[in-house]
Amino acid sequence: MQGCLNPVWPCALTGAVTALSGFSGIAVIIHGSSGCYFYPATLLHNDLHSTFLVEQEVIFGSSERLIGLVHELSPDYKKVAVVNSCVPSILGEDIRDILSEFNIIFVDSPGYTGDFESGYLAAVKDLPVCMEKNAEGVNIEGINLIDPFARGNQREAERLLQLMGIPVGTIFCHDSYQSLARTADFSITVNPDLCTGYGHQLGSLLGLNSIRKTVTVLAETFCNTDTSRIEIELLAVEERITKAADKYLKRFNPPAVTIFSTCSYSGFAAATLKHYLDADILFCGSRNDPARSCMNNEKVTSLAVIESAIRNHQPDLVLGSTFERSVAGDAAFVGLTPPIRGEFRLSSKPLAGTEGELSFMEDVLNACMDRQQSGK
Amino acid sequence: MILNPLPLSTSRTGGCTLTGALAVTTGIKDSVTIIHGPPGCAHHNFSLLHATILDNDCMVIPSVISSGMSEHDVIFGGEEALMKVIIEAASGDPGIIFVLSTCITETIGDDVLAVTQNAGVPVCLVPTGGFLGGDFEMGFCRALIAVSNLAYPVIRSREYNPESSGSVNLIGEKNLEYEVHENFVEIKRLVSLLDLTINLRFAHDITRSDIDRLPFASVNILREPALSAVGSHLQDAFSTPFVNSFPLGISGTISFIRDVATLSGSKPEKALGIEKKYQKEVLEEFSDLRGSRVKLKIPAGGPEYPLVKEIFHAIGILESHDGTVLPVPYPFPVGTGGMKRMLHLWRRALACRAV
Repeated sequence: MQGCLNPVWPCALTGAVTALSGFSGIAVIIHGSSGCYFYPATLLHNDLHSTFLVEQEVIFGSSERLIGLVHELSPDYKKVAVVNSCVPSILGEDIRDILSEFNIIFVDSPGYTGDFESGYLAAVKDLPVCMEKNAEGVNIEGINLIDPFARGNQREAERLLQLMGIPVGTIFCHDSYQSLARTADFSITVNPDLCTGYGHQLGSLLGLNSIRKTVTVLAETFCNTDTSRIEIELLAVEERITKAADKYLKRFNPPAVTIFSTCSYSGFAAATLKHYLDADILFCGSRNDPARSCMNNEKVTSLAVIESAIRNHQPDLVLGSTFERSVAGDAAFVGLTPPIRGEFRLSSKPLAGTEGELSFMEDVLNACMDRQQSGK
Repeated sequence: MILNPLPLSTSRTGGCTLTGALAVTTGIKDSVTIIHGPPGCAHHNFSLLHATILDNDCMVIPSVISSGMSEHDVIFGGEEALMKVIIEAASGDPGIIFVLSTCITETIGDDVLAVTQNAGVPVCLVPTGGFLGGDFEMGFCRALIAVSNLAYPVIRSREYNPESSGSVNLIGEKNLEYEVHENFVEIKRLVSLLDLTINLRFAHDITRSDIDRLPFASVNILREPALSAVGSHLQDAFSTPFVNSFPLGISGTISFIRDVATLSGSKPEKALGIEKKYQKEVLEEFSDLRGSRVKLKIPAGGPEYPLVKEIFHAIGILESHDGTVLPVPYPFPVGTGGMKRMLHLWRRALACRAV
């Protein structure tokens, strides 16, 4: 199909703005109209700026307006970042040249060039990262501020590194601008879809198996690392979930599941549900281009396609965003993908780390139990 | 071809024309709206609409299709992509297909009008164009006018006497506002005092065929004065007079009843008596607020200020620089029912301060 009916995933511009606005001290300017500004602004609830272009700039050029805004913001921030939107990008103005007197970050990431992930990674690539030689610690990657698990994932990654006595390097993308000057040589991730390429990638904290492997690699990389506490924790977590899952399986059949999320999150969810509940994964839809490791995923970004997949497969459990919940029918639902609206989320719930695994399985078991009981 | 003249008064922060137009076209349940542009434009707007749908506990999901413009289309033109999507949309046999252009298609010069004319299926083109088409409000007005033109084929003005219809149309309800249903209920209550009914909510939760009822009402009631151009267009087209706003404030609600009565040929006395009595009861219910010292954070020259001052005066609330800040909802509450909900908010604000 040429068109996309009810598209459910943001564009590259939103991805770029999300990445940059995660660093305090960077003023993010959306070089575009108020329409392009309002969506990321309402999604992120961060201070964002915009040139608020109108037709006048399309005809006479936007340089004056852009220079004026950069000039105004520069004294109050460590750095100014300009993210280009669709119309100015096709007008062909040389933004780097226009702003040559300023030391800015410029990200050419108009919406038509790709999806959220491509914009996020393009922005990260343009950050003035300084890989400090022998910088202590490990960077945390994969924090994405529109992800409902961002805060929880960050805390969990920091906690696990602390348990091993390893300092935290730069957190991509939720840190200070100054932190970019002390980026470490090594990185771990809480979301492999958003690996920045800065530092040697030592592994992921998404799922217990990944955590085990990553802890082993970290121990090999850093001398005098204490892994004993994490190893005990991993065993305890696995035992707790297994017990709960066994209890569920004593009464109920394994759930048949459809999953709609980013490639890494849906891969994590599928593997975890198969492992603990012997779940039948009926369909795995990916918002972004599936990586090699998720080749069973199909890229799905249209709510109409999602609705038809759910209707065709008749799952017991649907994992996804608010969009999936609205077409899930009688199936149990667990939020995995942004946006998750229509409920209060005050605590810092993780998906990564041991607490993430516990929290995810807790949500799944409770949702499935509720559905079973309401069907009685 | 550029579809729109350059609006000189475009507000820089007035939002996107597309969002305004979509707030109208998606109010027609059996329609499909094609956004000719990159998928991101459609996602931004669809996500906003979906969030509103959730807030309003309504689960009819509108059909918004992106023509999925890519970098290739930006270079070589997106007309072919648009044509394909129109044909795909038509295969689902929707009540009506709307096509909205975006700033990017306007900039590269796609001839959207020609594509819609050559599509071989009926298509309603709404002249938007992202920020090149104006702002949210302009998109909203243009869409209302474009959609109203669909009602032209069924005009039977000679056979029809507006004054005897006994009904009103609601024009341009803000489908994206949280209290859209409550406002509707309030207007329905007020016009029922004049023995009038609602003929059509234009365009909220209606079908393509419902649009044909648009000419058959005694009075059009506009949501707000910014829609006056739409009111005039409908008056020219169908000879239906209009009231230019939903009622706001104590005396505003009374004038509203009087205006609707005059335009519909109804007798207002009974309705005015009932409403004045109801307003008195509501104000008495909040007589405990008398003497409260409060502060406002709305501009003194703004349209809400006299409405709030009128309520202060009626209850006996005192304005003071060291008073409690009172929340004044935006948009301003509609009718006496809306005023009552706002008074509950005020009572809570004053109680919080007292604690």
